[in-house]
This record gives sequence, C-alpha cells and structure tokens, in this order.
Amino acid sequence: MGRGMAQRILSGGHELRIHDVVRAAGEGLVSAGAQFADTVADACSGRDVVVTMLVEDAQVLDVAQRAGGLCDSLPKGAIHLAMGTYGVAAIRALGEAHAKAGQILVAAPVLGRPDLAASGQLGIVSGGPADAVARVAPLLDLMGRKTFHAGDMPESATAIKLANNMVLGCAMIAMAESFSLVRKFGVAPQLFYDVMTEGLFSSTAYKGYGKTMVDQTYDNVGSPITVGLKDANLIAAAADLGRVPMPMHNIYRDRLLGAVAHGDGDRDQAVLAREQARACGLDS
Amino acid sequence: MRIGFIGVGRMGQGMSARLLSGGHDLLVYNRTPGKTADLEKAGAKVAPTIADVCRDRELVISMVADDAALMDVTLAPDGVRDSLPKDAVYAAMGTHSATAIQTIAAALAKKGLTFVAAPVLGRPDAAAAGQIVIVSGGPADALKRCEPAFNTLGRKTMEASGAPEAAIAIKLANNFVLGCAVETMAEAFALVRKYGVNPQVFYDVMTEGLFAAPAYKVYGKLIVDASYDKPGFTVKLGLKDIKLALAAAELVGVPLPSGSVVRDRLIGAIAHGDGDKDWAVLGREQARASGLE
Repeated sequence: MGRGMAQRILSGGHELRIHDVVRAAGEGLVSAGAQFADTVADACSGRDVVVTMLVEDAQVLDVAQRAGGLCDSLPKGAIHLAMGTYGVAAIRALGEAHAKAGQILVAAPVLGRPDLAASGQLGIVSGGPADAVARVAPLLDLMGRKTFHAGDMPESATAIKLANNMVLGCAMIAMAESFSLVRKFGVAPQLFYDVMTEGLFSSTAYKGYGKTMVDQTYDNVGSPITVGLKDANLIAAAADLGRVPMPMHNIYRDRLLGAVAHGDGDRDQAVLAREQARACGLDS
Repeated sequence: MRIGFIGVGRMGQGMSARLLSGGHDLLVYNRTPGKTADLEKAGAKVAPTIADVCRDRELVISMVADDAALMDVTLAPDGVRDSLPKDAVYAAMGTHSATAIQTIAAALAKKGLTFVAAPVLGRPDAAAAGQIVIVSGGPADALKRCEPAFNTLGRKTMEASGAPEAAIAIKLANNFVLGCAVETMAEAFALVRKYGVNPQVFYDVMTEGLFAAPAYKVYGKLIVDASYDKPGFTVKLGLKDIKLALAAAELVGVPLPSGSVVRDRLIGAIAHGDGDKDWAVLGREQARASGLE
C-alpha cells in the first residue's frame, strides 16, 4: 500500500523522503526521485508532514515513541499523518504523545486495495483538527479520489474505518450462511448470486466476494483471513472501549477464528463460505 | 391466459391489476369480499368461492399472508386441491415456509396436479408497476406454462431449477441477507456515534464504496434519519420471515448464527413497543443496547 501512495505523492511534485526497515522496498521510489532516509529520525527531520503506513498498532506506537522516533524527531507544529488501520486505543495514545511533543496527529485510514493506492483512487477518512486536516489536504487529494472528514478527534476516523470493515465482514458472513442454505435445497449457488446481486445487493461487496464464494477461488487472495482477524480484534476492542455490544460482529470474529483453526488463515476472507459449509456438513 | 387469483391484499391487488391490464382473462377471489371492489370496477370477474375461481382456469395463483391461509385455501374441502382442473398449474406466490410448500407439493402430486412455488421480491408499489422479481421453482414444463402470466407480473423471472421449495429457499435467503445488513448497520452506527461521528458521515463512507446498493442506501438512510414511523416492512413481518429462514435452515441442518442475532434483536424491538415500526428500527434497538437512548 505504502509504495503506491508514496508514488502518488512524488507525482504531485512534493519533496519526498522515505524509510522502510527493508531498504530494498524503497528502490523503485528512489529511482523515481525519492530520497531514502536511513533512520526514522532522518525521515522526520525538517519535514512538514510524516506519513506512516504500517501494518499494526505495535509498529506505529514503536516508531512514534521509541528514542529517535517520530515524537523525538518531528519539528514542533509538524503533522503525523497516520494512514494505516490502527486501533482506537493506539490512536488515542499516539494523539497524546504527539500533543506532549508539540506535534499534531491526523488519522487518515484508507479504503481500498494496493491497485487503488497506486492509481490514487483510495477512499480516505480523515480525523483531526480542521486546520491540520486542511494542511494535509493536497496530499490526501493525490492519494485518494475522495476524503471524508470524520471529526476533530483522530479516533473518529478510526471508528468509521473499522465500522466499514465490520459491515463488510458481516456481509460476507450473511452470504456464507445463505449460500449454504440454498445449496441444501438443491439450488445452484450462481443462481442465488444472480438473485441477490440483481436487486437489493447490487454493490461491489456482494458482487466481488459473492463471486469468489460461488467460484471457490479462495487461493486468489485479496485480503486474507489473518488480516480480517486482526481488524476484527480492533473492532471488538473499539466496541469494548465505546461500550457497544455488537452481536453480529462477534459471529464474524468467531468464524474467522474457525477458518484459522481449519488451516485457511492465509486464504481470501471469502473462504468464510467454506467455514460455514463445514458447519453444515457440506464438503466444501 | 385464463387465470384465477386468490388473495387480493396489498400485493395481490397490484398483481391482479397487472394481469388485467395485460389482457388476461382474470377471476379473483378473496376471503374478505370487500377487497375485490376496485378490481371488479377495473373489469375483473369476482368468484364467490375457491371452486369458482379455479373453474376452467389454465393457471391459479395464490398470494396469501401466511402458511395457515395457504393451507386453508389449498387443502380445505372444496379448496384448490379439490377444484383445480387437471391440466392447470397452481402457483403459490406468497412467502411461505419450506415445510408448507413441501406439504402442498406432496398433497397435489398425490392427485396428479401440477404445483409451482413462485415467491416475489419487491413491495406493493413494485407489484402494481410490474417491477417485481419472481423466483420460480417446480417442474420445467409447468414453469414454462406460467411464463405469459409471470412476464406480465414482473420485470424478471429467475428459475430455481428444482423443487418448489428451492425457490422458497432463495427468497428466504435473500430476505435473511437483508435482515443481517440492517442489524449490521445498526451495530456500526452505534459504534461510530460513540466516537463522536455524525451518522451521516459514516453513511456517506459506507454507501459510496463497497455498499452502494439499495439495501444499504435505503435502510441506512432510515437509520440516519431515525425515520421508523412509515413502515415499508414492519418488525413483525421481518420476524416472521427470519423465523421462516431459521426453520428452513433447521430442516436441512444449516446453522444460521447471524439469523439468530437478527431474530433476537427483532424480538427486543417488539418488546420495546416498536413491532409495527419499519424494521430499520433495529437501529434504535441497538442504540438502546448501547446506552445511547
């Protein structure tokens, strides 16, 4: 994801410094004009904005709070634009740490896969003080086709991103349960797919994942079960912090765990249909 | 086609009117006689009994509210089973349980009569405009014979290619997916509200991308606006359909954990006095569970 996003920023004529623990990951960007920073401190010094696009909470907290990390190295008044999908608690902790160091946190998680990142077609949800969000708007415009402003608190953007992921997970579960039901009544899954996506559910979520379930092409991985489980845990934690019972979400999370237990952890999340089929005594 | 139509409630009214305007020879019957007045004015002939509505017909359609009504009009003495011409087709177009459909299929087969299930997707306004979708299940030649009527009634017919209850399974599964979508949105809206998000912003994010479909746009908007008092589909009807899905699933050994959650929330909504509201009121039920109202 980060590579495509950095490429978009470069294409907008910005002076870009990049850092990755794996130096080779930045080679293409360097040949396109980016400078490679050997350390996080180098990547931060003298910058107006530092973008992070990391996989999980532990990484972003570490890179921000360790000695020589973002809080130590970013100039006062600079912005940390956190674009990965992080938990609410991590975003709150980051916000406080930056405030203490005189810096500003803007959370801007993205909706979309790597191909959309490379073409600047991501959906972006921003959360943070309005003036800071306005300062990073030119960057967001390069990376995404649309930015939704969630509110002044960075975690409000996180809540929206997690809620949207949860809606997707539950849609997959509902489809998985339905495909099993109709199969047991002798219906070809393709036919139920046609009925469903022709009417109330004529959208990408149902068409994309529904098709994968019909064709059982689970080895063609867009987002694997393990990443779904990571996000599902972030959603459950946000619900816990916000005191929101989410019974549908609990079912999604349990089915993800079952898929991992059955050895499907690295398959596409649509493999939830196979997990449901197993629960019904269907072979696959 | 020579058609007999049993049950002219909200859906049946619109469907009968379509058949009339499509030039079919139509007889209508309703257990409560007053409901046939408008159709009579429009040129339909009203049959006083089920035996009369079946006489000399090529196709008899029933569109009745529940399983009990279907069993009654079909299997009671002088009902459809006793009155249907040998060479006619009987099509049950209401949303019924898989068990009821299996029972009727078996009862009619015993007498050598032809039966199809053809539940519909769409509300009364879509029925009146001929814009419903029909999911049909039954013997292929019988479905073929229904085509002139189905083409007048709906914009599309999708054949379940199998037993009549296969069509029921598709219809129930589709409603079940909708119930899950409504409950899922209810949970998601409660979550973002607790983080200070204006529900409209989450609605925009959701419906702009993966969920740019009528289910999310229509029901999401109702939840954002808390507009539950003009029901398109009530909590009580939603509960009826979810229970039919759970029963169909139990019959064939399919756990529907999401269905159980939706069922419980619908029961909670009824317990809180919202049974006659639109089933988007699950948004409020979930808000209550989160201490938001």
